[in-house]
Amino acid sequence: GDSWGIFTFLCAALCNLPALPALNCTEELGAGQSIQKTYDLTRYLEHQLRTLAGTYLNYLGPPFNEPDFNPPRLARAERVPSATVDLDLWRGLTDNARLAANYRAYSRLLCYLRALDGQAGTAELRHRLGHFCSSLQGLVLSIAGVMSSLGYPLPVGPAGTPAPPGTAAAMAASNDFLKKMDDFWLLKELQTWLWRSAKDFNRLKKKVPPAVVTLRLEARGF
Amino acid sequence: DSHVQYERVGADVTMKCGSMDWDAAVTWMTNGTDIDESHQNGSYLILKKVNLTQSGQYSCYEGSSWHLKYQTSLRVGMPPKEPVLMCRSNNYPKGFYCSWHLPTPTYIPNFFNISVVHGTREMVCEKDTFPKNRCHIRYLQLFSTVKYKVTLTVTNALGKNSTTLTFDEVAIVKPDPPESVVAKPVPNNPRRLEVSWQNPSSWPDPESFPLKFFLRYRPLILDQWQHVELSDGTSHTITDAYAGKEYIIQVAAKDNDIGTWSDWSVAVHATPWTEEPKHLTTEAQITETTSASTSSFMPPPTTKICDKGAVLGSGAVAVCWTAGLVLAAYGVLFI
Repeated sequence: GDSWGIFTFLCAALCNLPALPALNCTEELGAGQSIQKTYDLTRYLEHQLRTLAGTYLNYLGPPFNEPDFNPPRLARAERVPSATVDLDLWRGLTDNARLAANYRAYSRLLCYLRALDGQAGTAELRHRLGHFCSSLQGLVLSIAGVMSSLGYPLPVGPAGTPAPPGTAAAMAASNDFLKKMDDFWLLKELQTWLWRSAKDFNRLKKKVPPAVVTLRLEARGF
Repeated sequence: DSHVQYERVGADVTMKCGSMDWDAAVTWMTNGTDIDESHQNGSYLILKKVNLTQSGQYSCYEGSSWHLKYQTSLRVGMPPKEPVLMCRSNNYPKGFYCSWHLPTPTYIPNFFNISVVHGTREMVCEKDTFPKNRCHIRYLQLFSTVKYKVTLTVTNALGKNSTTLTFDEVAIVKPDPPESVVAKPVPNNPRRLEVSWQNPSSWPDPESFPLKFFLRYRPLILDQWQHVELSDGTSHTITDAYAGKEYIIQVAAKDNDIGTWSDWSVAVHATPWTEEPKHLTTEAQITETTSASTSSFMPPPTTKICDKGAVLGSGAVAVCWTAGLVLAAYGVLFI
């Protein structure tokens, strides 16, 4: 009779997991699933971005839509966060630092992408951008979920808050071509971050195994 | 005075006898044979529309004294066509290599120069000792937004040509094929084959950069392949093999997220397990070869086995029944 009772309780606990991220005893189980979910989301976004970038670059016109277009990085405001990192440094990142870097990057990228939304050409393009922004927001929230389930604080401060729209517009409006360059680099950085995140979350997956249920049982004295 | 002279195939070549005057009396020789005077214009040697066979040593001798006045080695060849360049990362994230070759031979010595530019930085591509037309580069940074631009220039005495490749860091990732592919039959399973393989040894970090695999298999007698994609693990059991048919199996690898599939691995062959024919044949042979006198003591094998089977069957059934009763009893006790 006892074993049945335990079994039903377990079922209830597992089913309620997604709704109760604060439940201490289910922390590791939640984090494992969230990391997988976040990984899947980066892959989905990367796929979506390919179509979106193609359409947007065509809208910008040549030379931005040429496949060999390889402009030098202008020394202008490096506002868009770069995914580029030294190999050994990347390897040595703590889980917290790794997640925080992703969180900060996508928060800012989302903000810049939203600014793009208002100015884009056709209605179809604006619709696509809007959809992508929603998905990107989902990614930011997913990363936040992983961080909180592992007990890490969410990054705050200037990196997390968006730059006032006024300054961005003032800097960009100076030159139409330069503005298009900014758009080009934004999409490039976004693409590179999505490549990097797949690798980041692969590493995190290995560190946090998905199911640790049996350990939980022992801890609770059954 | 020894020289080398490079000329294009099909060109008209004029060879001067060193510093001798045009109207000096000279004799030209090549590879030990005289060249007919009809090819001479004064002391100059004229060769029209040269071909590859005319490459060789040409010597010019003064008419009366037979002094060697001039010697040259004629090499007939062609300027280089656009070279073929390929760059690939089979050891991501360590770096990448580039290899090149000429689509058609030039028949004369060629010099290759490769340059790699990443943004504003010029990188050094270290030449491999073997194979010769290959060099490699180590990545200093990962996840770069800036493309790599590789330019290969080939030069020879008759001309110059070049080609350029521009690519993203992740676009050229292509692992080597999986290694040590092994396919084995599974005992007592006529439709199964167990396949296992290893990560390519050139892939440096499968833990952080896991590979996924693609398996294809078909019986030799059919042309259509069956495919299975595997996101992890380095083994797979085929469960729908045709019984008794020999199979050909190959595996390919790809980084989980970036780049392209490797080439197919070396093919392995395997046939699923088949049941060995029973003692039937051997005993039948024995009864046939032995004389008729023994036949009364040895009933035909088929009936013998049937009888044995019948006996066993009834015995086994009896055992089963008792076991069943015992288990039922225990079950009642527990419930």
